[in-house]
Amino acid sequence: MATTESSTYTPDIPSSPITRTNPESTVHVELTPNSLDHVAATSFVRSPSAGATVLFIGTTRDSFNDLPVSSLAYTSYAPLAMTTLYSIATTILSKHGATKIAIVHKLGECPIGEESIVIAVSAPHRQAAWRAGEEALEETKAKAEIWKLERFVGGEGVWRANRDGVMGEKVEEEKDQGKGTEMNLEDNAKETS
Amino acid sequence: MAPVKVPSGHFSILYFAAASSFTGKSSEHIAAPLRAGSLFEELEKKYPGMEAKVLASCAVTVNLDYIEIDGGNAPDLDLVIQEGDEVAIIPPVSSG
Repeated sequence: MATTESSTYTPDIPSSPITRTNPESTVHVELTPNSLDHVAATSFVRSPSAGATVLFIGTTRDSFNDLPVSSLAYTSYAPLAMTTLYSIATTILSKHGATKIAIVHKLGECPIGEESIVIAVSAPHRQAAWRAGEEALEETKAKAEIWKLERFVGGEGVWRANRDGVMGEKVEEEKDQGKGTEMNLEDNAKETS
Repeated sequence: MAPVKVPSGHFSILYFAAASSFTGKSSEHIAAPLRAGSLFEELEKKYPGMEAKVLASCAVTVNLDYIEIDGGNAPDLDLVIQEGDEVAIIPPVSSG
């Protein structure tokens, strides 16, 4: 699904970062209007008991299906997105026996080529860290209540949907997919930054 | 983002992404109580065409919990949206 937005749209975003860290300091999630700091995310997950740290950095692309994108902006239902991100992070940490995890997402204007999402995961061994990192990204893209507005060169803005195969095409199977709460790995694989 | 104060006898409804584009608003107030199963009908009345163009692919939350109101047997059709509740229309997401 995609609906156009006028070129004057300004995203409604918080003026300062919204963060949540568990008391044990093993889980950190954040939505921020500021530039993402992947070094801080990596430092957060560093631990003497972890032999592996995996860092994913998603950066905004300059095209979608060969159409040139001029700028992007992210908006969010922040209270719900924070709950969702925290739940994804804690679930993945225990499922993969990982040591620490941080998920940080940008809100507001995000110039082309800049970081829109950072995920850092540490684990005792590399396999768990890789898997946890990949699953954290896919789950976030499938579930977190965050929306990307892509503005095309010389055109209007289009709200993207991660599970769309192509821009502006409505996905028909959504009624069976829990309305945006389910993961579709095949679709997402094409979209991953 | 959320309305500062909800007038008595109303709930607030938040529109995101395509829902916000279609309504031209990020939020408004609607008279409460309202049966959840009638929400899309109510919105279609206010914004003709919204159901097919936007709502058909959207999820709905009430006070930050997802409700299921899609289809004749959906479990939350009879849930009643109360005065002061915060309802949100959630289009397909696109983070990353």
